[in-house]
Amino acid sequence: MTLEPSRPEAPQRLRLLSSALLAALVLSSCAAAGSNSGSDPGREFADFGEVLEEADGQTVDLWMYGGDEQGNAYVDETLVPAAEEFGVTLRRVPVANTPDALNRVLNELQAGREDGSVDLVWVNGANFSTGRQAEAWRCNWTGLLPNMAYTDPNDPLLTTDFGTPVDGCEAAWHNAQFTYFYNSETLPEPPTSLEGILDWAEANPGRFTYPAPPDFTGSVFLREVMLSTAGGADEVPLTYSEEAFDNHAPAALDALSDLAPSLWREGNTYPRDEQALNSLFADGEVDIAMTYGPARLTELVASGALPDSTKVLTLDEGSVGNASFLAIPVNAADAAGAMTVANLALSPEQQSAKADPGVWGQFTVLDMDRLDSDQQSLFTQLPESPVVPSYEELSRNAHAELGADWVTELDDAWRRSVATAP
Amino acid sequence: MHLGFGVLLGAWIVLPLIPLMLWFVAGQWRAPDILPGTYSAQGLIELFSPQIQSATATSAALGTSVALVATPLGLLAALAIRRLPRTHSRFVEVVLLTPLAIPPFALVMGANVLLLRIYTPSFSAVVLVLAVAALPYTTFMFRSALASYDDRFEEVARTLGANARQTLAHVRLPLLAAATARAAFLAFLVGWGDYIATLLIGGGQLRTLPLILGSAAAGSGNEQLTAALSLAVIGPPLVLLAALSAPRLRERIRR
Repeated sequence: MTLEPSRPEAPQRLRLLSSALLAALVLSSCAAAGSNSGSDPGREFADFGEVLEEADGQTVDLWMYGGDEQGNAYVDETLVPAAEEFGVTLRRVPVANTPDALNRVLNELQAGREDGSVDLVWVNGANFSTGRQAEAWRCNWTGLLPNMAYTDPNDPLLTTDFGTPVDGCEAAWHNAQFTYFYNSETLPEPPTSLEGILDWAEANPGRFTYPAPPDFTGSVFLREVMLSTAGGADEVPLTYSEEAFDNHAPAALDALSDLAPSLWREGNTYPRDEQALNSLFADGEVDIAMTYGPARLTELVASGALPDSTKVLTLDEGSVGNASFLAIPVNAADAAGAMTVANLALSPEQQSAKADPGVWGQFTVLDMDRLDSDQQSLFTQLPESPVVPSYEELSRNAHAELGADWVTELDDAWRRSVATAP
Repeated sequence: MHLGFGVLLGAWIVLPLIPLMLWFVAGQWRAPDILPGTYSAQGLIELFSPQIQSATATSAALGTSVALVATPLGLLAALAIRRLPRTHSRFVEVVLLTPLAIPPFALVMGANVLLLRIYTPSFSAVVLVLAVAALPYTTFMFRSALASYDDRFEEVARTLGANARQTLAHVRLPLLAAATARAAFLAFLVGWGDYIATLLIGGGQLRTLPLILGSAAAGSGNEQLTAALSLAVIGPPLVLLAALSAPRLRERIRR
């Protein structure tokens, strides 16, 4: 039984409570304010001296994929202290997916905010091209960086990013090479071409699979199969067209549909990503796996996450390579600081430290011919990885990434024809 | 019969935690081994790294702030609903429940542009959005407490000469204390375990445990760290829950 609830003192009490709430909110606002040190984000700089001057005292938020412990450690222990010497405080913001960073930037732009909280993003491929379409990246700034002189201006890996022209909208950071690896204990004589891998998989049911596109790694594998069934990377135009798709995609999709019954679990299911494929490989369920981040293999084997018998498989026809970059959002509050960090990241000292397999093992984007002998020796004296061959060997016969439109079209077609096949 | 269901329910909750505990101490663990091949204390060491400690503090601050905002608001909402005629109160209840029906991502994306436009500082913005997400829980905690609340206790106190403040302090608050603790605990959990609002609305300024956990879980070979972080996320709320239920358990035993 409830009694008449209205009491005269109640409204007063409500008012008291609401003002207490308001006070709590105001207090928490004060505690959080004052983290943006930037000024005039749209400012153009005449030379790098101006950049350095403005950068002094700025805090740069670098948003990057945080699932790579070695990468996190490199940034925290090597890049952050080096940035401090320029008066730049570098903060690493770990994200599970790079699109989270882009979403934040697009939200800020939509709200008309010019004091953006994202200063630097580790990016390439689809995220870069999406950002370019939305005009979310600051452009024409990499020419200011003195250390760009160490890179080859005609290096195709650095001038286009998955078919999207770079146009000074991002500064190169690492090179990567799509790499297959195998368990030398269970597979003493591995195939030496992609066609060979598919034949071997058919002859050894259940010992091979690939992540389901549109997973990043699975999607690369799908494109590699298309280039292979087309008779080589030169046969397929980099720019997407319906005609080119109709010419080349069906053969690849047919090959993968035919292969499906011989895959792990008869192709009824696929690993969801590279990580899941790695566990299958580590657990001895499959004999071959693949990655776009061969840099990590050394550490994964050393830590026991992958077996000691893991070996890299270099294919006769080569594999696809790409570069990844650091991009600055157009509304970054600390753009000068971000440029300072991007320049620093391109220095021979940082590039060689990062290339050490014990540190991160990421391949350099610098052109050795443009370095003096002291700088070259920084790279030649690096320890060799017991697992991963040199970049020269890994990137032999390498080809470039297809345009970003290819990626979505192929992924869709795979889902329609291969994933749903009986 | 009851006991059987109890055991099943207990197993359903505890079983998934067992592999987590094992990964926490496992150096190397490969299928088809049932137990880890080697053990290591690396996970324990990671738990005490400055990064995880500061993330724990940030998570605790976020959870507490959400509880501080959402608990009194929930009480106010429950009091208001109680006062409304039944037809109106139903409508208000539905409105208060909607945050549960909207996917968090949609809520976050929608609110983010507005919050950015009015220059809300990141910490307050996250607290505001999460308080909305926590409001259904706190409101309904107080709703159910007030349903069995007898106003005559207050009237007796007033008849005996207590003034309004004394009635509030000695009758109403003690009677609602258990509900307040439960509501605050649920609101705390909303802030403590959130990922998407912390990331997108916080704009990378807040590094909480779930944020570090999410990015660690996205990579190969991080099983031990991921397990350590998961335990760091699960542990403190369990301790809180135990602290909340301990006095009542003791009371029950005394009776």
